[in-house]
Amino acid sequence: MPPKRKAAPAAGGASKAGRTSTMSTPGPATPRSLDSSMMSEAEEDDDLNDPDVTEAQKQREQLLGMEADEFINGWDLGSSRFQNQTKEAGLDAASAYFGKRDFSNLPLKPDHMNRPLWIDPLKGTIVMERFNPLSEQATDFLITIAEPKSRPTFLHEYALTTHSLYAAVSVGLDPKDIINTLERFLKTALPPAIRVFIEQCTHSYGKVKLVLKNNKYFVESVDADMLERLLKDPQIGPLRVHSSEVTTSYAPTMGGLVIPGTKNAAGVRQAELEKANGKPAAPGDAGNEAELYATLNEEDDDDDKTAVHSFEITDSGVETVQKRCLDMGFPILEEYDFRNDDVNANLEIDLRPNTQIRPYQEKSLSKMFGNGRAKSGIIVLPCGAGKTLVGITAACTIKKGIIVLCTSSMSVVQWRQEFLKWSNVNPDDVAIFTAESKNKFSGNTGVIVTTYSMVTNNRERSHESKKMMDFLKGREWGLMLLDEVHVVPAEVFRRVISSIKSHSKLGLTATLLREDDKISHLNFLIGPKLYEANWMELSQQGHIAKVQCAEVWCPMPTEFYDEYLRASSRMKRTLYAMNPRKFQACQYLINYHEARGDKIIVFSDELYSLKQYALKLGKVYIYGGTGQAERMQVLENFQHNPDVNTLFLSKIGDTSLDLPEATVLIQISSHFGSRRQEAQRLGRILRAKRRNDEGFNAFFYSLVSKDTQEMYYSSKRQAFLVDQGYAFKVITQLANIEKTPDLAFATAKERRELLQRTLVDNEKGGEEDVETDDLFGKPGRGKKRGGFGGGGVRRTAGTLGELSGGHDMAYIEQNKAANKTLKKKAKDAQQNAFFKKLAREKERNRK
Amino acid sequence: MSAQSYQLSDYLEKLPGTTFRKLYQQPSTAFAIFRRMLPPLAKIFVQGLLYMPAPLLLSQLDIWVKPEGKMSRDRALVILRSLHIINITPPGKDKPQEIHLTTNFKNSLRLALEGGGAHHSFGVPSTLAIDPTIDIAFLDRYARKKWEDILHYVVNSVGGEGSSGGSGAGPKASVKDLLLAGRLVERRGDTKTGIAITQAGFTFLLQEANAQVWTLLLLWLEAVDRSSANNSGLDSIDMLSFLFMLASLELGRAYDTSALTESRRNMLPSLVDFGLIYIPRDTRQYFPTRLATTLTSSASALRSVSSGFAAATADASADVTSIGATESPAKGSVIVETNYRLYAYTSSPLQIAVLALFATLTMRFPGMVTGRLTRDSIRRAISYGITADQIISYLAAHAHEQMARAAAAAGRPVLPPTVVDQIRLWQLENERMRTTAGFLFKDFDSVEEYVALSSYAEEIGVLEWKSDKKGLFFVSKYEQIRDYLKSRKSAK
Amino acid sequence: MPRAIRGVLIECEPAIKSIIVHLNSEHNDIIIEDLDESHLVVKENMVHLLKQKLEDRLKETYRPEEPLVDSE
Repeated sequence: MPPKRKAAPAAGGASKAGRTSTMSTPGPATPRSLDSSMMSEAEEDDDLNDPDVTEAQKQREQLLGMEADEFINGWDLGSSRFQNQTKEAGLDAASAYFGKRDFSNLPLKPDHMNRPLWIDPLKGTIVMERFNPLSEQATDFLITIAEPKSRPTFLHEYALTTHSLYAAVSVGLDPKDIINTLERFLKTALPPAIRVFIEQCTHSYGKVKLVLKNNKYFVESVDADMLERLLKDPQIGPLRVHSSEVTTSYAPTMGGLVIPGTKNAAGVRQAELEKANGKPAAPGDAGNEAELYATLNEEDDDDDKTAVHSFEITDSGVETVQKRCLDMGFPILEEYDFRNDDVNANLEIDLRPNTQIRPYQEKSLSKMFGNGRAKSGIIVLPCGAGKTLVGITAACTIKKGIIVLCTSSMSVVQWRQEFLKWSNVNPDDVAIFTAESKNKFSGNTGVIVTTYSMVTNNRERSHESKKMMDFLKGREWGLMLLDEVHVVPAEVFRRVISSIKSHSKLGLTATLLREDDKISHLNFLIGPKLYEANWMELSQQGHIAKVQCAEVWCPMPTEFYDEYLRASSRMKRTLYAMNPRKFQACQYLINYHEARGDKIIVFSDELYSLKQYALKLGKVYIYGGTGQAERMQVLENFQHNPDVNTLFLSKIGDTSLDLPEATVLIQISSHFGSRRQEAQRLGRILRAKRRNDEGFNAFFYSLVSKDTQEMYYSSKRQAFLVDQGYAFKVITQLANIEKTPDLAFATAKERRELLQRTLVDNEKGGEEDVETDDLFGKPGRGKKRGGFGGGGVRRTAGTLGELSGGHDMAYIEQNKAANKTLKKKAKDAQQNAFFKKLAREKERNRK
Repeated sequence: MSAQSYQLSDYLEKLPGTTFRKLYQQPSTAFAIFRRMLPPLAKIFVQGLLYMPAPLLLSQLDIWVKPEGKMSRDRALVILRSLHIINITPPGKDKPQEIHLTTNFKNSLRLALEGGGAHHSFGVPSTLAIDPTIDIAFLDRYARKKWEDILHYVVNSVGGEGSSGGSGAGPKASVKDLLLAGRLVERRGDTKTGIAITQAGFTFLLQEANAQVWTLLLLWLEAVDRSSANNSGLDSIDMLSFLFMLASLELGRAYDTSALTESRRNMLPSLVDFGLIYIPRDTRQYFPTRLATTLTSSASALRSVSSGFAAATADASADVTSIGATESPAKGSVIVETNYRLYAYTSSPLQIAVLALFATLTMRFPGMVTGRLTRDSIRRAISYGITADQIISYLAAHAHEQMARAAAAAGRPVLPPTVVDQIRLWQLENERMRTTAGFLFKDFDSVEEYVALSSYAEEIGVLEWKSDKKGLFFVSKYEQIRDYLKSRKSAK
Repeated sequence: MPRAIRGVLIECEPAIKSIIVHLNSEHNDIIIEDLDESHLVVKENMVHLLKQKLEDRLKETYRPEEPLVDSE
């Protein structure tokens, strides 16, 4: 089993059987790396062991998980289903280097120079020339139908997968369009295997839709025969609502729907909402559709008026129908015809008039609302690229009850702030449900912001929480916004989704990366990936900061390295974090950047080193055990106090922490080989306020101890960003580091003392970082952890640990001194307006 | 072993003056040396001196050159002297220094330029009927095939496939022996073919086609010199003259074999093996190929292994079977991304094989291959003796124009610096431990004994390491120290 | 009378030396003499094995090459 960040039981109980079986059958879209067992971030253990969840429910969840896997595997492009033709023997002397992947016998089209794409018929890998004149158009197309794999400077690679085609169909492309457009961009003829693959995948996808209309569930399809087949199915048939007939109507179009904040919005607002349904609109009218679709639809203008057939099913039968359709190979698409929902109250919400959304935000939303209904799915934007605004704009489009799920109470507060900042919604209509505050909105509809753990953990739930949950469960929500979807275990989603009824779901994330392969399940639980932005492009356009990345190699002093070689894996991690040369490098970089006027975040997953570093260097820090008030204090100072320029953060700062002042990031310890964490951390500096200053660069340093496993993890962690086009420079020597004033651990004696102290202090394992109310903790539990050395560590009197306790105490004193200085100052000084407002609101929420 | 492969000038400079006198009897040789071996200023000197009735005062020569050109003047004179083209009288008190062309060179070059004489120095065209199918395109294809077989043999010695694949049986055994003798490849147990490319071999591959040909020919001449108990009946001086003559022949024309001397006729089979000439069955004709006729043309006219041939055959009818290769022979073809992915616009099995030496290849499309640089692929290359710098310069020399353009626009180097650094770092990994076999000396009777022995070891140059504090030292050889110790003991 | 012991002198970075010392501690069958921070003398017949073990050891500090079959 993977090494755990959390004190999870190593022995797998019966409840894990399902997971192990899903692990053994990875989906095709996310090939498992050899060492995924090392990397797997199995944070969901706690949730799996939730005693409130019945055995039956767990079994059902496992079953669903396995079925999703099976389904995916059946459609692997490599399966014999598509690759029935035998390959010819080697073509020439060089063929042997490529095994089966020599496709040089595919004839080139005469004008191949003008076409940007190649495709690998075996795996569906697409290579695109970025420098080809058609590459812009091809990129728009590929991002819709394929999974981006590598997007550096000159040639991009995409993969055509079952999921990506599922997503393409769900945003309204039909197989004919996909095949024709692909054919147009390809240098060679479209290989037959790919054609068949596309036809068969798309044939099964998107043919059946689940539509909530007038609060009734309808199964809908353009294919009448398909509906007949479903009705005859022994499981689905009986679920049809008696007395309901199969009805036929016309497919909706974008007609008249305007996404707020777009160029269209300004003029058209309000207009023509009522004549939208059933009235065909020329594709050109849908101004916010990408040019591509206009091209695609050229020949199909007269097909706009497509007939659709539907029958009604019972509310309780929804999941069975979904599951059955999946078994039959027709995964169901969910759509919400919110403009015709007169049962749920409308929410008074619109973007503020001066709010303009950016082109890529518009593009991503146009995929969601492509046909005038809301489709469920996931939008992937880098941190700092305005995911929140995308979510809020979606909310302003749907204008119904909105529920927002976040990973921590810190981001709950931020989400609420953003709602008030960007939209004209009445502040009383935006309520918060966290451990600390539980209030409802005043009107008959509104926005609720809460955390995943608040709605999935039933244990230790107070009376108030229960009442709140009943409120959430008892309503129908127009839109469920799922923040940071990549960190949430599939089981948690299942529970959220089954307990809270929403018409549409929008997942937001920076990276659809999970080391445990569970991403494929999100497709079935939330919906397909609707859009994924290109990081480099956004940075070139100035939407996110340009970043210089560097990996700094820090050799281990011999005595440390000798100890490292002998140490347990837990202690190894502590040792490579506490490497005095790394400490010096950190000190050097902080000095250098503070002198330049930068604001610096230092990340450490290792709590021990986080504190040691911060205290030795006299810097402020925040970790899971830091109280809410102190956090606010520290953050405020970091943002506004010119004397506080460096902030040490534990992994709780990985996501959702919005610190646009930060321009430099230094990473001293991290979570194994997590590519996701690396990307998220980089995200902390992407929204740097100064990003559009002439020649501005943010800096991302990853400090690694040479010749340790950290080197391996480091290169693995970078893989995702490197494929996005980021280049990590290796720094083996920091110039004149020895001249740093007051350089820490400069003498051999100091280094030996550091080593001894580190060994003794960590003899019994370090403290684990727990966010008090984040997804993975239990509400209330984190509070017990509080002080340094508390929580997981218990020291017995009379052992060496006691000695270390002495050191400990000294540091606690300093610690208090460090963060307390701020507290004192804050009392005297004028509080910043933002902070005051937050405090006021918090007060109010408590009442 | 030198990483530089063998060059014609190195070879010539080692020859004694008498050999040059012999060589220069041939107008074609004098002309070839004049054309190929001389820098522009040296050519001007030769042209100036060629028809001078009397020796020139060395001081006069200074008038021909601007004062700041003194360096080039000196260099030109050094070259001219080392090739025995000029003579300069020794400095004396009574007489100023004079400069003149050596007699044989002067006469032959005049003949070559005037076209006089009856030396058959520029070959005797065949008077027999010529097969019309033997045109320039045919000869190019033929030469290309022969030469690529040789290069393939060098590349493919790395393994990956058993033989040189579907393109024939590969070069003749004699050629293989030559490559082995020249240490372009070496015998190794751990490859499929039992031989492996060497660092010199990789350098060879990276050379321009023209330099490659010369490297092989010189290996041949050296081999003949070595076995010059003269049982081969070949004489390297005459061979060299013949090569220069071939270089002066006209591509596409047939020449008469019967006009050649016996020893030169004996050279023909090897020249066929190298692809320098083509001999139709049952005729007394030979056709020089482009490989021969470009021997003495300026080297820059041809490009390296990958595109060299494409360039050499560029004016031949377009080769429909390999669109990518002939498409843009003058442009580079390789793109290296910051994420270590590598793309090469090529169809040439040879270039692909070269890339496979240091990259892991993944897919091949018509006209394009994809791959990546990995730690393993680079380390594999390094284990063959290929250096990080060689790989980097190959990538830089073959960089796709898109890379050059982007680099120029951004004011950055052509190759991504992080990739270049990483290739070097991968090489450094290999050099983290240095081992020296030898002997550790310890347990000395006295400090004085330690000092005496360690100083002696240092004196005779076998001391590798010592510690006065610990009273220990390590030497690579111990015999002399043992003897010294004995003599010391007996002296006492 | 001084002794001369046949062996191989290894010159390396301190980290590499640490690893060799660590490897030696298992069976005590590699090192003849530990000289200083960056030098040691080892048994001649162990050099090959040592190089192999060292490589194994360092392998965990590098990302293994991804399988060739996919281009991800």
